[in-house]
Amino acid sequence: MKRVCIFGESPLLEEYALQCLARGLDVQVRPNTDSGRGNSISLPRKAKKVQRPSRSSDLALELTNTSLEIKRRNLEELDRVLPPQGTILSSSVTTTVAEQGSWIRRPERLVGIGAFPSFLEGSLIELASSRITDAKSLQAAAEFVTVLGKESTVVGDSAGMVLPRIVCMIVNEAYFAMTEGVAPARDIDTAMRLGTNYPHGPVEWGDRIGAGHVRAVLDALYRHYGEDRYRIAPLLLRTCHEGSV
Amino acid sequence: MVKTIGIVGAGTMGSGIAPVAARAGFEVILYDVSHDVLKSCMERIKADLRKLTEGGRLSTTAATEVLSAIHPRKNFGDLGHADFIIEAAIEDLAAKKEIFRKLDAIVGADAVLASNTSSLSITAIASLTRTPESVAGMHFFNPPAVMKLVEVVRGAQTSDRTIDTVCSIALKLRKTPVVCKDVPGFIVNRTARPFYGEALKVLGEGIGSVEQIDRITREEGGFRMGPFELMDLIGIDVNLAVTQSVYEQFFHEPRFRPHPIQRMMVEAGTLGRKSGKGFYTYK
Repeated sequence: MKRVCIFGESPLLEEYALQCLARGLDVQVRPNTDSGRGNSISLPRKAKKVQRPSRSSDLALELTNTSLEIKRRNLEELDRVLPPQGTILSSSVTTTVAEQGSWIRRPERLVGIGAFPSFLEGSLIELASSRITDAKSLQAAAEFVTVLGKESTVVGDSAGMVLPRIVCMIVNEAYFAMTEGVAPARDIDTAMRLGTNYPHGPVEWGDRIGAGHVRAVLDALYRHYGEDRYRIAPLLLRTCHEGSV
Repeated sequence: MVKTIGIVGAGTMGSGIAPVAARAGFEVILYDVSHDVLKSCMERIKADLRKLTEGGRLSTTAATEVLSAIHPRKNFGDLGHADFIIEAAIEDLAAKKEIFRKLDAIVGADAVLASNTSSLSITAIASLTRTPESVAGMHFFNPPAVMKLVEVVRGAQTSDRTIDTVCSIALKLRKTPVVCKDVPGFIVNRTARPFYGEALKVLGEGIGSVEQIDRITREEGGFRMGPFELMDLIGIDVNLAVTQSVYEQFFHEPRFRPHPIQRMMVEAGTLGRKSGKGFYTYK
C-alpha cells in the first residue's frame, strides 16, 4: 500500500492525512468545498490537494459525516474513477455500508470505517461490511489499519457503529440535563470525570468531537431506528447552529 | 459550626463515610439497628486503618484518634447529639421517609439532614420533616474513601444555607461537591445511563459481542472499563434497579428504558462478579 486518496471534511480529513503521511504513505486529499463554515481546513503541506482522484490510488477514503448528499456525490465519483479493484473505505457512522452501497455501481469494494473526530487517539479502529462487500476489500481495509499502526475489529453494519453511538448518546444526555437546568456544563463535566471512569467530561468530549458530528450520529440513529430515544437535545442542536461557545 | 456528624446505617456507604468524617476531625455517631452490622462495620474500619498504618500512610496515633472519634450506637435517640446527619440506610423511599420523620423529632433546630440516596427524590424524603429547607442530598460514590465526588442535591424546598453547609462539610471531608437539581439520577447516574443502555442495545442487535464492545470502549474510546465489565462489577441487579428507578421517575422516557437482557440475567441469577457469573465468568 503506497498511495491513498482522501475525500471528506474537517477535522477527519486532516487527522487521517496526518496519520497516513506519518506512516510514509503518498497522500492525495480533496476537501469538501460546500460544507459551510467548516472551511478553515489547514492541511499538512505534504498532502497533495487534487481535483480528481488519481486512478493509481491503492485505496480511497471517503470521510464525510455531516452531509449524506456530499458523501453520496463523493462516493459516486470515487466509484466512477477508481479502477475496479480499488477499495473504498468510507466513514459509516452516519449511515450503513448497505445504504452507501446502494448508491454506487460496485458495492462489493465498499468497506465502512468508524471515522470520528479525535477517535484516532485510540489504538483500535472499527470496520464494518455489508453482505455485498467482498473478502478482498475487507482485507485491504484491515491492512490499511495495520499500516496506520492500529488494530481493527469488524462490527455489524449499523448507524453509529459502536463507540460513536455510545459516546454521542452520553453527550446528548448531558445536553438534556443542561437543558433542564440540572447543573451547568462545567459541573456536569466535573461530576462525570470524578464519578465515573470516562476519559473526558461529556460536554468537553462533545466539543472535542464537534457538535456537528455528534448531531449527525444522533440524526442517523433517529433515521435508522425511528426511535424517540435518539432525538437530539434541543440545546445541542442550538449549539450546532451557533458553533461551540 | 458542625462538630458532630451522625451517620444512619452502617452498611457499605455508612462504614465508608464514617472514617472519612473522623479523619477530617469530626466526632461521628454511627447508628444502625443491628448490633451485628455495627460490630462487623467497626471490624472493617479497624482493618482498613491497620492497612493504612502498616503502609505508612497514617500514624498509629492518628489511627487511634480516628477510631476513638467513631461512636457506634444502637439507640436512635443518640443521633440527636449530631448537628449534621448523613443518612445512608436502605434505598427505599418509605424507609427513608420514616427515618427522616424520626430524625426531625430528635435533632436540634439548626441541624442539617442529608441523604446519601443515589436515586430517590430528595423533595419526597424531605416532605415529612417540619423543616424541608434543611434537607438536602449528599451523594457519595463507592468507595467513599477513594471517590472524590459528592453530588449535593437541592430539593424543591432546600435553602441556600443548607446547600452551603453541605458543600462546606464535603470540602472538609476533602471531597469535591457539585450542586445539582433534584432530578432522577441527579447528574452521574443519569448521564451514565446511555453507557449501559446503548451498549446493551448494540449487544442485543448483534452488532458486537460483549468482549468486543468492552474492548472498543477501552482501546478506541479510552474508558478505563467497558460497560459489561463495569455492570459485572456493580452487579447486574443493582444496575437494573438504578435504570428502572430513573426510567419510572421520568415517566417512561424511552432513553432510560431498561433492556430485556438485564432482566433475563437477573432472573437467571447471573448477577456479575458477586455471583461468579455475569457477562463474564469469574473463578
